[in-house]
Amino acid sequence: MTPLPSSPHLCFSFHSPVFLVPACLLLKMPVHCQRIEIQKLQQGDNLILGFSIGGGIDQDPGQNPFSEDKTDKGIYVTRITPGGPADVAGLMMGDKIMQVNGWDMTMVTHDRARKRLTKKNEGVVRLLVTRKSLEEVVKQSMNKYPRQ
Amino acid sequence: MFCRNQTARATVARGSALEMEIRRGKFRKSVFLDTSQDSDIQKKIDHEIRMRDGACKLLAACSQREQALEAAKSLQTCSTRIMAYMSELQRMKEAQVMQKVTRRSSDAGPMDDRLPCKGKVAISDLRIPLMWKDTEYFKNKGELHRCAVFCLLQLGGEIFDTDMVIVDRTLTDICFDNTIVFKEASPGFELRVELYSCCSEDDYSAGSTPRKLASKLSSSLGRSAGKKLRAAMEPGPCSPISNGGASPLLLPVPSVAGPKYHLLAYTTLSLSNVQDSFRTHDLTISGNEECSYWLPLYGSMCCRLAAQPHCMTQQMISGRLKVKQCGGDPQSSTKVYAVLKGTSLFCYHQQEDVEANIEPAFTIAVNKETRIRASEKDPHSNVQNICISNQYGGEEVTHTLTTESREDTHRWMEAFWQHFYDMSQWKQCCDDLMKIELPSPRKPAPATPKQGSLYHEMVIESSDDLSSTVSDILARRMQELELRSQLGTSSTWMSVFEENSACCPHPCTSHLSGPRPCTLHQLSRSPVSPHRCPQLALLSSDASLTSDSDSHRSTSPCSHHHGWPEPSSNFSLLSSSPSHLRPRTLSLDAKLSTLRGRGYGGGGTFHCSCQPPPSSLLAPLPISSRSPRSQRSTQTTLSCSSSTSSNSSSNSEGSHSPAEGAPFSRPSMARRSLRNLRARLDPRNWLQSQV
Repeated sequence: MTPLPSSPHLCFSFHSPVFLVPACLLLKMPVHCQRIEIQKLQQGDNLILGFSIGGGIDQDPGQNPFSEDKTDKGIYVTRITPGGPADVAGLMMGDKIMQVNGWDMTMVTHDRARKRLTKKNEGVVRLLVTRKSLEEVVKQSMNKYPRQ
Repeated sequence: MFCRNQTARATVARGSALEMEIRRGKFRKSVFLDTSQDSDIQKKIDHEIRMRDGACKLLAACSQREQALEAAKSLQTCSTRIMAYMSELQRMKEAQVMQKVTRRSSDAGPMDDRLPCKGKVAISDLRIPLMWKDTEYFKNKGELHRCAVFCLLQLGGEIFDTDMVIVDRTLTDICFDNTIVFKEASPGFELRVELYSCCSEDDYSAGSTPRKLASKLSSSLGRSAGKKLRAAMEPGPCSPISNGGASPLLLPVPSVAGPKYHLLAYTTLSLSNVQDSFRTHDLTISGNEECSYWLPLYGSMCCRLAAQPHCMTQQMISGRLKVKQCGGDPQSSTKVYAVLKGTSLFCYHQQEDVEANIEPAFTIAVNKETRIRASEKDPHSNVQNICISNQYGGEEVTHTLTTESREDTHRWMEAFWQHFYDMSQWKQCCDDLMKIELPSPRKPAPATPKQGSLYHEMVIESSDDLSSTVSDILARRMQELELRSQLGTSSTWMSVFEENSACCPHPCTSHLSGPRPCTLHQLSRSPVSPHRCPQLALLSSDASLTSDSDSHRSTSPCSHHHGWPEPSSNFSLLSSSPSHLRPRTLSLDAKLSTLRGRGYGGGGTFHCSCQPPPSSLLAPLPISSRSPRSQRSTQTTLSCSSSTSSNSSSNSEGSHSPAEGAPFSRPSMARRSLRNLRARLDPRNWLQSQV
C-alpha cells in the first residue's frame, strides 16, 4: 500500500501557533484566564466565528482530548479556522470556554453552547477562556498515542 | 402486632361514632392512637399542616404571579398529602378495631401467606404532548393563553410533586425533568399520576394587582370577566376531588385568594407498565374546553417507569455452603460463602471477599428457568442437600449445595422459595436490573433533541439504543454543518493544496462529502457564498482528478440515502470551470471503503491521497452554490458520520502512520501527535459544532 503523502500543513490550525509563535511562548505556561474578543465575520447569510467547539453536559467527557480532568463537561475549542475571526483574536485550540458575553458555559448542553455563540443579533462575542500550555496538550496526545 | 397483608378495610358508616370522632378532630386523644405507626403518621400530618399554613401565608403575602403559583402548588401538594395521611390513619385505626374484633371471634391462625418483597419504583422524563390547533401554534394569533401545570404522583402513602411549568401556545409538549423515586412499593402498586393546571392570566390574579385595585375590580367586573374570575376562584364543575375518590375527610380547608389548581388529567400506572425504556400511556382528561385551566392535551403521556425490587438489589440470604457440581468429581465439593442476590447465587471463597468487592469464585444462576429441589437425605450426615439445576446452552448443569445443619437447609430452601415468589410477582422487573438514576441537583439535559412532537419520539423509540441513535443523528447533522462551513475557509487552503498536488504522483481525489441524513432544523447555516468558487478552481485543475471517472461508479446503493435529495450542485473540482455543477448520486459505502484505504484521521487534517480510490465516492453537494473542495477533513467527517449507516466503520484512528509519508518529508513528532489529537476528535463519539 503506497503510503500517502503528508502535507506540511498537516494540522494547519494547530501548527501555526507552533511554528510562527516565538519560542518563549512554547515554554510551559500555567493555566490562566484570558479574555478574547471576536468580531464575527459575515459570510453569506451567516455570521461566523471560525472555530469549532466540543463538549457539553450532555456529551461524554471521556472523549475530550483537551481536558485534563476527564469528567470535565465544559466546552472546549476543538478547531480554529486559520485566518478566521477566532484565530485573529487569539483563540487557541484546547481553550476551555468559561463564559460567552457574560453567560456561563461551564454547565451547558452542547446545543445551548452553540446557540450562545451563534446569536444572530450579536456581532461581537467576548469569551472568557482558560488555556493550558500548548506543550501540555501535545504531551498528552503523545502519551495517548505512542509512536507506531 | 400488625400484619402486613391486612387488607380488610371496613368502611366506616357515615354518622357512626368513629367517623364523628375523627371529624371532630378528637382522634388525637382517642385510645386508638397508641401504636408507634400511628404516631409516625400523626407527625407527618402535623408537618404537612404546618407546611400548608406556611404556603397559605406565602400565598396571601406574595405579589408576583410566579410566586403565587408556586405557593398554590405547595398548598395543593400539602392538602393532598394531608388527605392521604388521614385516610391511611383512618384505615389503620379501622384495621386495629377489626383486629381486635376478629381475634376475639376466630382463631388467629398463623398467617403464612407469602408476601413479595418491596422495591423501588422510579418515574422520570415525563412528557405530555399538546395538540394546539394549527392556527394557534404557527401564527401565534390572539392572546397568549398560558397555564401553569405540574404533576402530582402518588404511590401508596408517598406523594410527590414535580416542578411547575408554564405552558403556552409556543410549547408542543409539557416536559417535567424530575425523577421521582418511591422507596417502598409492592408489586401490586398503583402509581397515580395527576396533572394539575391553573390558568395564568392576569385578569383575575388577585396577587399581581394591588389590593385596593383588585377589590375594586372584582366588585365591578363585567359578566364574562366575572364568570372567569369566579371559575378560577372556586372549584367549579370542572374539578373533581384529587385523591382518587376516597371519602373526603372534613378538614378545615383554607380558602385563600389566589390561583387554584384544578385536575386536568390523570392516569394510573402499575407493574405492567414498568419497562426499562420510554413508553406511552393514555391519559384520562377531566374538564372541557370551557374551563379556564384547559389545555389541549393529545391524550397521552410518555415516561420512563422503572422498578428495582429489593430481591434484585439486596442480599436475600448469605451463608457458608459446600457446593458440588454434578458430573464432576464427587469428592470435590468446594467450601464457599454464598450470597443470593438478584438472579444469581454468588459463591465467594471467603466472607471478606464480599465487602472487598473481589470477584466471586463462581456464580450459579438463579432465575425463572432454574429448578431447585431438596434431595433425599444423605444417609451419612442426615442432612438434606439442595440441588440447583440450570440449562446452560443445551446442557443441564446441576449444583448440589450442602449446608452445615438442618436448620440451615430449611433456611436456604425458604429463602429460595421466597426469592422465586418475589420474581414471579415482580415479573419483568426481575429479568435484569433496571437503572434508576437518583435525582441530582443539576440534571443534565437529555441528549434527545427536542423534536417537540410525539411522532418524532415514536420514531426514535423503535431503535434499541435511544441515545446512540440520537447522538448519531446529531453527529451527522454537525458534520453537515462542519462541511458547509469548511467550504468557506480562506485561500491558505488553496496554496497548500497546490503544493501537495505538485508532488503527488497519483491523482488526488477531491471528494466532497456532504452527508445530509435528515432535515437540519436545528442548524441554521446556509451555504457558503459563491464567491469562493474561483479560489477552488485552482483546486480542481491541480487535483487532476481521475477520480472524476470514478465518480460515475457508485458501488453499493445505500438504502439509507433514500431521504437525501438529488444534489443540485456539485464539485467543480472535477472540471475546470468552477461553476459547473453536476448532480451526482451518493454512495456512502463506497466512500467509506475508499477512506479506510487511505487511513484518514480525524477531522481537520488535510492532504491528498495518493491511492487511487477503490471505488468512486462522490458525495453530492446538497446545497447549491456551494464551492466544493478537497479536504481530508470532509472525507473524514463523512467516514465518521457514515459509520452509523454502513457497517464498514472506518476506524480512522487505526491506520494513521502508514497513510502519511513520502513524498513529503516525515512529519515531526509534534505534528504526528497533533494528528493523533485530531484523530481523537472523532465526531462519532464526541460531538463538535462549528460556530
